[in-house]
Amino acid sequence: MVLYDSATLGGSCSGSSSSSSSSKPPPLQQRQQTQQDIDGLLAGAGYRVRSSELRKVAQRLERLETAMVNSPADLSQLASDTIHYNPSDLASWVDSLLSEFIQPPNCPSAFIMDAETNQTVVSDAWTTAEPHMPQVHQNISYEQQSLNNQLTVDNQLTVVTAMEEDSGIRLVHMLMTCAECVQRGDFSLATSCLEDMQGLLTRVNTVCGIGKVAGHFIDALSRRIFQGIGGGSINGGSAYENEILYHHFYEACPYLKFAHFTANQAILEAFDGHDCVHVVDFNLMHGLQWPALIQALALRPGGPPLLRLTGIGPPSPDGRDSLREIGLRLAELARSVNVRFAFRGVAASRLEDVKPWMLQVNPKESVAVNSIMQLHRLLGSDLNRNSPIETVLSWIRSLNPKIMTVVEQEANHNQPGFLDRFTEALHYYSTMFDSLEACTVQTNKALAEIYIQREIANVVSCEGSARVERHEPLSKWRTRLSGAGFRPLHLGSNAYKQASMLLTLFSAEGYSVEENDGCLTL
Amino acid sequence: RVVPLNTWVLISNFKVAYNLQRRPDGTFDRDLSEYLDRKVPANINPVDGVFSFDHVDGATGLLNRVYQPSSRIESRWRIVDLEKPLSATEVVPVIVFFHGGSFTHSSANSAIYDTFCRRLVNVCKAVVVSVDYRRSPEHRYPCAYDDGWAALKWVKSRTWLQSGKDSKVHVYLAGDSSGGNIAHNVAVMAAEAGVEVLGNILLHPMFGGQSRTESEKRLDGKYFVTLQDRDWYWRAYLPEGEDRDHPACNPFGPRGRTLDGLEFPKSLIVVAGLDLIQDWQLAYVKGLEKCGQQVKLLYLDKATIGFYFLPNNDHFYCLMNEIKGFISSDLN
Repeated sequence: MVLYDSATLGGSCSGSSSSSSSSKPPPLQQRQQTQQDIDGLLAGAGYRVRSSELRKVAQRLERLETAMVNSPADLSQLASDTIHYNPSDLASWVDSLLSEFIQPPNCPSAFIMDAETNQTVVSDAWTTAEPHMPQVHQNISYEQQSLNNQLTVDNQLTVVTAMEEDSGIRLVHMLMTCAECVQRGDFSLATSCLEDMQGLLTRVNTVCGIGKVAGHFIDALSRRIFQGIGGGSINGGSAYENEILYHHFYEACPYLKFAHFTANQAILEAFDGHDCVHVVDFNLMHGLQWPALIQALALRPGGPPLLRLTGIGPPSPDGRDSLREIGLRLAELARSVNVRFAFRGVAASRLEDVKPWMLQVNPKESVAVNSIMQLHRLLGSDLNRNSPIETVLSWIRSLNPKIMTVVEQEANHNQPGFLDRFTEALHYYSTMFDSLEACTVQTNKALAEIYIQREIANVVSCEGSARVERHEPLSKWRTRLSGAGFRPLHLGSNAYKQASMLLTLFSAEGYSVEENDGCLTL
Repeated sequence: RVVPLNTWVLISNFKVAYNLQRRPDGTFDRDLSEYLDRKVPANINPVDGVFSFDHVDGATGLLNRVYQPSSRIESRWRIVDLEKPLSATEVVPVIVFFHGGSFTHSSANSAIYDTFCRRLVNVCKAVVVSVDYRRSPEHRYPCAYDDGWAALKWVKSRTWLQSGKDSKVHVYLAGDSSGGNIAHNVAVMAAEAGVEVLGNILLHPMFGGQSRTESEKRLDGKYFVTLQDRDWYWRAYLPEGEDRDHPACNPFGPRGRTLDGLEFPKSLIVVAGLDLIQDWQLAYVKGLEKCGQQVKLLYLDKATIGFYFLPNNDHFYCLMNEIKGFISSDLN
């Protein structure tokens, strides 16, 4: 038998048992204490275990092993039926497996019961079905760019790519220099950098790879230097234009499809057993997310619920009521599959202008709040009043939703320092463009690229209220949402499996779904 | 017979998780495996003096993760210069690392291997290229070796990995468990093709054979590993119908081939004293010696498998010193 020594268990035992089912978030102090108690070496291996709990976890693991050895017949069944959650939280993963072994198989596991039993206590659950796009967010491999060229012509390109790599690297160096000048306020030097870069661009392939991305960043810097930080024409795109671009982005790469799919899974599960359900969509667009949910609800055992959908979107300038049009189409679909459906559109140019009473939430219904890449737009702080994010999160909570699904980009584009933001964005969007190129879907990628280009322009050339693309990483969202009174609902191995399967339909190399502490990322 | 508590938890966790993934009929729950595997992204920002970036092969989707020591000049951070060699004057070793997992588990971006490779960079002042390969049972022998060979050729042909006055890529092959087995086989392929490899570092490499050795009988089930799971992994990797005397499993066995006269790199073989397959590893060492190849054995008496994942034991530091010495002895 292997013994373990307890010499490594030094220090204080400050941790209380992990309370994932509390209705209120733990006070900040206690959370900081428990952070310090985490075993640092296991953290480096991707597991969060409190040092004070190591012995307990070890004992449970031993019990689990014994149980597994004693019931080999159950093992295959167990393995295929169990839904695993949040493997980083080793203690609870082991416990959930143990309970599977000890409880008779028709009893749902502890995790699923959690959400239900806490319904009567004021507890709001949110899941982050976050397709961090793209997950590998600091990844500049020039090699990839030149490889794209090599796919077309073989031998003669070796010389060209060497030159290309050289110019490509010079471009990146210059971009950084230019950004640094901008941060320092040295606009004359920045302008001459811009000129040099525009010259370099003529010698580089701008159809793909570094040349293309650099081109967009040069444009964005140019805008900032010459047109100022007010946004101007970037944010002025009409709602109609935005919808078209969004639609092409949706078609060209898997991110939005993954987002919708995973969010719908979570909503479906949350609505299980409820007969009156209400989905609030923070950005309806063409309502692309909802047909799949309507169909899934139609097929659920026990029959579909009464479904209300409230879609928020910008007002249409030309008298068209585009929200209503989408609603009508969705109603048609719902009728065709016998789902009782009601739609309501809420026109608002900014999310912070929406007031909860506009949503007309009925106290008897189960509410799902669905936000696909909208919350980050609320992170600009207004010196006059509360930051909009706090206001909005607080009224969401006041609606007492059964679930809130949040999708955000996994990127760090809201740092105060311009150079930091610029560098992050350069890496992030380079990878983003690479990933777009990896998709072999037959579609007009150019419009999808313009969609991305607008994001770049906003991150780089806007400030203040004009800068709305304020992406923040998962860790910050977790803290913010917990602080607003939301409890994380973990996406399990079943959602993971289905998302992975969906990905295989998109014929694209280099994409993978990963589990990250209860969230799924693409 | 003591293992630190957190190491015990880590390796037992793997044991339990892997049990759930292997099916008795020889199939494997790949989705569950990928879901449970803790992965980390590459990081172009230096952390503890090391940064990393990924290269994905467009055709195969396989990942190579490159780890480098970060420049002392902060303005050079976050930019990788693919135009210049690592150094024009000094030799910078490049370690091609094949992760373990019994040919079935883990990836180059698994947290445990990412952490390990970063440590290797700092200890050896080397560049590390951690390489993905197609895994069994979906892809059997010789896929892993072919992928390893392709990776070696890729590394050798990167001008930005060259160093020294002789402007070449100074490559060492390394791997743990199945990665060690791959390193051996790739080294053979390299020697046969005249591609220079400066050294092999094999960390409790995965070898076996049809017979049951004394260590296997004695240590079966005692330290995280059972003969039953070892057998499963060989059945999953070797061509169907083959037994464990196949040369991929048993390179110096009855069907093995001799390496006499081959320009095989010098080897550092690390054997954990509590690893049940040590008799096969020791046989491998003898096999190399008999062929006249240069080999050093590091036998760590009280070490279990995976002792090098966490730097919380003497064996870890001993290992790191040995590897450092093995590489730096060439730098003079």
